[in-house]
Amino acid sequence: MGIRTTALALAADRAATLIEAIAERRDRAAFAEIYRYYAPRVKSFLMRSADADIAQEVAQEALISVWHKAASFDRRRASVATWIFAIARNKRIDQLRRTNRPPIEVGDWITVFASEDAGPHTSVSAVQLHGRMKVLLQRLPDDQKTILHKAFFEEKTHTVIAAELGLPLGTVKSRIRLSLLRLRAAMELDEKP
Amino acid sequence: MSNHRAPEEMLFDYAAGTLPPGPALAVAVHVALDPAARQVVDSLRAVAGALFEDHCAARQDETLASDDEIEAVLSRLDDAPAERHLPQSYAPPEFAWAPPVLARWLPQRPRWRRAFGGFRHIPIRLPGDAYRVSLTCLEPGRGLPQHGHVGAEFTVVMAGNFSDATGSYGVGDFAVGPGTGDHEPIAGPGAPCIALTVLERPVVLTGAWGRWMNPLVRRGML
Repeated sequence: MGIRTTALALAADRAATLIEAIAERRDRAAFAEIYRYYAPRVKSFLMRSADADIAQEVAQEALISVWHKAASFDRRRASVATWIFAIARNKRIDQLRRTNRPPIEVGDWITVFASEDAGPHTSVSAVQLHGRMKVLLQRLPDDQKTILHKAFFEEKTHTVIAAELGLPLGTVKSRIRLSLLRLRAAMELDEKP
Repeated sequence: MSNHRAPEEMLFDYAAGTLPPGPALAVAVHVALDPAARQVVDSLRAVAGALFEDHCAARQDETLASDDEIEAVLSRLDDAPAERHLPQSYAPPEFAWAPPVLARWLPQRPRWRRAFGGFRHIPIRLPGDAYRVSLTCLEPGRGLPQHGHVGAEFTVVMAGNFSDATGSYGVGDFAVGPGTGDHEPIAGPGAPCIALTVLERPVVLTGAWGRWMNPLVRRGML
């Protein structure tokens, strides 16, 4: 476990450095490395709502956005995985909604809030947090994980999830709350100096 | 200082991208103005990012990127000019309290309209949204006519403050309407209270005079 954790944390760190290299000097080798690692993941995420060809095309567009938006990445705010996931999801929403204006939260999170605050939570970088979060997630009970998956990957509200699982809304709320409390409590423990 | 956070499940659905546009805008404005809410949303997104990396890794073997594919994408990188940041939103100076995420949705030349009950408002149109979204401005010490709701109501304060039976709300605070109960929000003294209000259904005026106006309110004429 220990070795694996370190490797994951390193990978997250390395990914952040690669994005910074793209931002600072348009580093194509750095981009290729990012692409190799993330494009298949983005594609796999997109294949939940599109066939393989479209998923492939949208994944490429998402990664090309990564190239162009690299300067707005801030490792104190988000890990590369979180950031790329947000870009991928927005690409998908764009594709689904086909509206002319960007969805409401694209810009504000990626560009507007970038590096403006130095709140207490920035003492631990989001990138370091990412490695730990992955370990914590693996320890979550399956029923809690299922709900998180539905919410984040299938984009379902609490109400829809409750209907699908045949659970009362209150139960869904409390499972989500429980899993998030666990994750956040573990994070906060980590953040104590 | 009061501090009213949006309900946890709304912050969660916002972070997961599942809120409809109206409520999503209310939460976006709240998150822009309240660092604590922003921290919650950031950590929820960190959860999403970790889940994404973890979960999608399981399926990636079937879809590994080939060298050809990478070459093809590298050759497309310079096709488009570097994406500019979203155009900085240009709220007119008298709308300086509007965070950028809201300024983007203001009408070109926003102008306050008087509404029945002595307040002013500016309707905001979001694509594909069934909610009634508007800016509301209450003069200091003035109240909204007593009204009730048949659907959800979310209010985010951007300037000044107001209070009703549920508490007092300052800049960045998120108020959830009283359900089916009536309420009568009153702006604090000193400065006008400016808020974003998001309604699932038109309000129902419940005061002695107000109830006569309901047909007009439902048609969006007031």
